[in-house]
Amino acid sequence: MTHLKIRKGHNIRIQGEPEKTILSTAQPSSVALKPVEFSYVKPKLLVDIGDHVQIGTPLFFDKLNPEIKWGSPGAGAVKAIQYGERRVIEKIEIELDKAEESIPLQPNIGSGISNIDRQTIIDTLYKASFWSHFRQRPFNKVVNPKGSAPSRIFVSVMNTAPLSVDLNLVLQGETTGYFSSGLTILSKLTDGKVHVCYHEDFGLNLETVSEKIESHLVSGPHPAGNIGIQIHHIDPLKPGEIIWTISAQSVIMLGKMFQTGKIDPVIIVSVGGPSVMNPAHYRTRLGVNIGSLIDGLLDVNDQHRIVDGDVLTGRKSSVDDFLGFYNSTVSVLPIDRSKPFLGWIQPGSTAKTYSLTRSFFGSGSKRLFRFSTRQNGTLKALVPINAWEDVLPMDILPNPLYRSILAGDIEEMEKLGILECDEEDFALCSFACPSKIDLGSVIRKGLDLMEIES
Amino acid sequence: MRFLKNLYERIRPEFEEGGKLTRLYPVFEMMDSITFWTNKETESGPHIRDSIDLKRTMILVVIALIPATLFGILNAGYQESIVMGFERGWLTNFWVGLKLFIPILVVSYTVGGFWEMLFAVIRKHEVDEGYLVTGLLIPLIMPVTIPLWQVAVATTFGVVIGKMIFGGTGMNIFNPALVTRAFIFFAYPTQISGDKVWIKAVDGFSGATPLAIPAAAIGENAVDLLEKVQQFDYSWWNMFMGWIPGSLGETSAVMILVGALFLAFTKIGSWRIMIGSVVGLLITSLMTNYFSGYSTNTMLSLPPHYHLVMGGFLFGTVFMATDPVSGTYTDRGRWIYGFFIGMLTVVIRAINPAYPEGTMLAILLMNAFSPLIDYFVVQGNIKKRMARYAK
Repeated sequence: MTHLKIRKGHNIRIQGEPEKTILSTAQPSSVALKPVEFSYVKPKLLVDIGDHVQIGTPLFFDKLNPEIKWGSPGAGAVKAIQYGERRVIEKIEIELDKAEESIPLQPNIGSGISNIDRQTIIDTLYKASFWSHFRQRPFNKVVNPKGSAPSRIFVSVMNTAPLSVDLNLVLQGETTGYFSSGLTILSKLTDGKVHVCYHEDFGLNLETVSEKIESHLVSGPHPAGNIGIQIHHIDPLKPGEIIWTISAQSVIMLGKMFQTGKIDPVIIVSVGGPSVMNPAHYRTRLGVNIGSLIDGLLDVNDQHRIVDGDVLTGRKSSVDDFLGFYNSTVSVLPIDRSKPFLGWIQPGSTAKTYSLTRSFFGSGSKRLFRFSTRQNGTLKALVPINAWEDVLPMDILPNPLYRSILAGDIEEMEKLGILECDEEDFALCSFACPSKIDLGSVIRKGLDLMEIES
Repeated sequence: MRFLKNLYERIRPEFEEGGKLTRLYPVFEMMDSITFWTNKETESGPHIRDSIDLKRTMILVVIALIPATLFGILNAGYQESIVMGFERGWLTNFWVGLKLFIPILVVSYTVGGFWEMLFAVIRKHEVDEGYLVTGLLIPLIMPVTIPLWQVAVATTFGVVIGKMIFGGTGMNIFNPALVTRAFIFFAYPTQISGDKVWIKAVDGFSGATPLAIPAAAIGENAVDLLEKVQQFDYSWWNMFMGWIPGSLGETSAVMILVGALFLAFTKIGSWRIMIGSVVGLLITSLMTNYFSGYSTNTMLSLPPHYHLVMGGFLFGTVFMATDPVSGTYTDRGRWIYGFFIGMLTVVIRAINPAYPEGTMLAILLMNAFSPLIDYFVVQGNIKKRMARYAK
């Protein structure tokens, strides 16, 4: 075990912190998979409206890498396939059956999990169309199972993003066993190490699971929980290497799948934010309909924006929308369209202003803040007052990197370390920027340029 | 305020797409956002944002300048009273100073504001906030005796050539306020060369600035010379407090330090540049002191703590070298950049006989070199990464 201390960063003190209890929700009537979420993928449908599918039945595949398929998050009839601009497949909606069936996998392996060989695991992952749970660095995209084997695998058992799921709450009782089995499976997928990062003990002695597992105690403010930051500090990506990452909840799903022979698409989702009346953790499932998840939870006095994901990296969403594949947080923010008289020179207070600079009164307060969707300013030219550098715990120079991306200088971008970056690690920079520049999306643009080039 | 809000909403369509005054939208947007800020919602990226924006950033620098400004106004009246031999109260002195300061301020904001708005209208973008600071800096680095038409011409030069031709706020290479001053410095040297004091007084009055006294002497000790001056009190303590003639905002080290603490505390100004620059000044002046025994140059004997409080060094360091746009943008670069400003200030003061004051030129020179400093810092970062990749 090593101890990694992250110093730079910031935990945003936002109202509506989810309570540390897991509540159950009613079975949603439908779930969906959104192909548009997966970058660098050209989806091709495998089902049609009206088809009956089981949990794990492939719904579409990637035309660029036909071996990667995406399994259905539920069993039932395909209710709708929604297309967007230029016939992009936006979502595939499944109306759930009363009694759901998973596609049949290997018979129950049970305690024999440590004797299972790599090829059996890979065959099972193909059969279950489970590959989309694995993402790779660079580019943070779905892994290509036919590509080179991962140099190492990273799992983060800590979330530091605002209002995110407390994984220590999830990892209790039998789920810890599934998690442990999941890690055993992972250790067989790589010749290198499986790095597990956590911030608080969760009752599992990781070193005994497999000798390939290396555990890291990580402490510090957000984005310390981001896998990209952990990779950067523990064993950074080198050119030509591939690192796989998988979320802790997917590891649980993986372990359970191998132990029981069935796919169980259950996940724990946190619902929070200033507009949520009883923020908490909810036991629900992959691709759940957001409307059914937050039904009755919202403060009716507010006009609000529903965010699929956390408030820093999530997408604008609505009650008709479905939970994103990699998301386990739904945040709801009030919309505030007021125009305060001389708002930019107000002295500031703990109730009205929130800043990482000390330019308002009450800036250092511990009070939780009622954030809204206000941008607090308009897009301006970059004035570098170190707002980015102060919240980026990486040995990356954000300002030169930003300039090289704007210039489209691929060689320079690579030298400045863009392949180690992901937009989520730069979300706090965008939050703090006085010029209101969305650095995260610029980083994504740079990665897109690199991906086209490679 | 409801009346004003309603008025804006009523005339807004005229300025928006399809209205009669669409071209003037940037001017309308400026008025609207100054009075009622903005209610823009986040679109891409994080859904929540820090409360700070560029307007706030700029106004905080203006707030940091207030102590030095108020002191400068008072001091302008006080210096006049000494020279004229008047006995009068603080209020009168302040009033006299105010009457000298306000016209320069008005000319600076009017002329600079005009160019800002003109370029915003032509280029169809929002009016930038940068001029909030520049407009106040200009009167603070001018002598109170400056003819107003020179302020107007120089401000035009500073804004148009110093900033606009590079693309406006965020794109400029040199600090626009310093470009303004440099323009006067070279175009009208009789008014602003830096060796004669600038006090509004009877015609024909003249005196030497503290920096000009050792610069003009040969083979003497700088401190002894300053102590001997009868006309003004050029003791260290008095120069630290700021009761000496000089440009309006530059004289009081105390008031500038108050501003410096404020900028560093609010995280708006880079303390790295400030400290780096003071260290550069101290080390270089210690070196010149060491060599003063071998030379007849009196300036070489000026001790570090005198360099610190004399001329425009502190003002330039705190309010102009820290300009994030024209300075370096890497932390390591900021140390180097600051250090060289301090060093060059002493070098120009001590070794260049033509200019008794070196801060302005030191900062402008380092503005020009800041991309080069950043280049080396970035190469260092790249080299480190490549070494790690090679392992």
